[in-house]
Amino acid sequence: MALQSLDPRVSRLGIAEDSLSHLVPKGDLDQFETYEAFVQVKENKPFEHAGPVHAPNEEMAFLFAKEQYSRRGMFCIALCVIKTENIRASHFTDNGQDVYDTLDATASGEETESFEIFHLMKRGKQHKYAGNVMARDYDDALVAAKSLYQSAKPVFNIWVVKSEDILATDEDDQDIWDTLKEKQYREAIAYKAQDKIKAFKEEQAAQA
Amino acid sequence: MYGGGNVFETMKATALADEDPVKLAEFEARIDRGEKIEPTDWMPQLYRKQLIRMIEQHAHSEIIGALPEGTWITRAPGFKRKLALMAKVQDEVGHGQLLYSAAETLGKSREAMLDDLVSGKSKYSNIFNYPAFTWADSCFISWLVDAGAIVNQVANSKGSYGPYCRALERICAEESFHLKYGHHCVIHLATGTKKQREMMQAAVNRWWAPMMHFFGPSDKISVHSEILMRWKVKMASNDACRQQFLDMYVPKIWELGLTIPDEKLRKNPETGEWEFTEPDWEEFKRVINGDGPCNKERLAVRKLAEERGRWVRKALLAPKAKYVTPLA
Repeated sequence: MALQSLDPRVSRLGIAEDSLSHLVPKGDLDQFETYEAFVQVKENKPFEHAGPVHAPNEEMAFLFAKEQYSRRGMFCIALCVIKTENIRASHFTDNGQDVYDTLDATASGEETESFEIFHLMKRGKQHKYAGNVMARDYDDALVAAKSLYQSAKPVFNIWVVKSEDILATDEDDQDIWDTLKEKQYREAIAYKAQDKIKAFKEEQAAQA
Repeated sequence: MYGGGNVFETMKATALADEDPVKLAEFEARIDRGEKIEPTDWMPQLYRKQLIRMIEQHAHSEIIGALPEGTWITRAPGFKRKLALMAKVQDEVGHGQLLYSAAETLGKSREAMLDDLVSGKSKYSNIFNYPAFTWADSCFISWLVDAGAIVNQVANSKGSYGPYCRALERICAEESFHLKYGHHCVIHLATGTKKQREMMQAAVNRWWAPMMHFFGPSDKISVHSEILMRWKVKMASNDACRQQFLDMYVPKIWELGLTIPDEKLRKNPETGEWEFTEPDWEEFKRVINGDGPCNKERLAVRKLAEERGRWVRKALLAPKAKYVTPLA
């Protein structure tokens, strides 16, 4: 006997009544790699961390990130994804202590590779893009970033990424963000109804 | 939607006594300063465990909540309503994604969470174990169930765990469309023909009891719940959320000429509190433990979706791919 539902489509699935009695745990097979997505909300604003996505490769990660983090309501003019394992995070500090002040190494001065630096300026907020630095390796990039990007405001955590590990929107593809305007039905503002309520109340009052 | 009515597991008091007192003091001081906790920070086991449980339940509620509403997409009246409902259901599943990611940062993989959902080990919001008989039921869910969820989510977004707060900020921003859309749908029926009005009233009658259950039973005041409040895991009591919901929405329901099937429901002008018939908590327990009208269907559909999607995941899987916990 198949499971019967109010929804005819569910009834048509022909799910066995006892389908839940034999469960096979999902394998690791099902888990895709993790990527972190960053969005640029408007021009002249830095890229900021939006959140993670799981995807089988970088391009799919970009696609999922676009679906997940640039749907209506939160405007986005550019997007990039970075494989989580390619992001080196510094340790966290708190209570006003700047991570940069806890580093005691000095920069090598070698400029063999390009890195990008992201800062967490407030715990609980997003990491934001700070700038580019040339260095020998991740640790070296962190130290080198100190002289370039440390400011009066403390930084609580730093992410370092190789520039080549970033997949970002192409300048020529700006039109991929344009569909948002046509989707008014996805905005709260499209659902004004006060007039209807007012008319209804007046009608009720007239009848009473 | 849909975090709400959390039932927290009681842990032995000794569990907390086992924690490193210096680290615990630093952790508590950080919360007292109003700073957020981030995934790599030290945290007590109790904090981690309860947050995983709470965020995971919230995530499950999003994807299971998409089922009773999703049923109505193809039958929604008119093209615009179909588009809007499709967008809303898509949002809910997206919220599930955000929340699973937030829970993952605490160390439980997405696969383990989905296994626990289908096996019944972890729960989702009890209200989705009830069926959406008519289009009006779908309207009730879009407006009032979402409204109830927003009350909970706004409270939780001020909690202490960074990734959960960030996910909730995004979710709350999208909820405003759901709420307005749902209200618009209900207004349309409630101010429409006699038949439409009757249909809407019948939906309110059906859903009122589950709606009162939605916020969960009164919290027992215990050392345990005091700790969770102090750590900003639980931000408002179930009763406070229920009162806030009644305060905001009962007048909006009444102004549409709809009645609420509870003769005792009134706002006490002296206390400012809403009075109502005590919800049937035996039914709540029975349904949450599996014996509701749709529990079996919801989980069976979820399980089938996992099974049917397996070949896609298998085809896409990179042989050397390995799982990494999200950063933030």
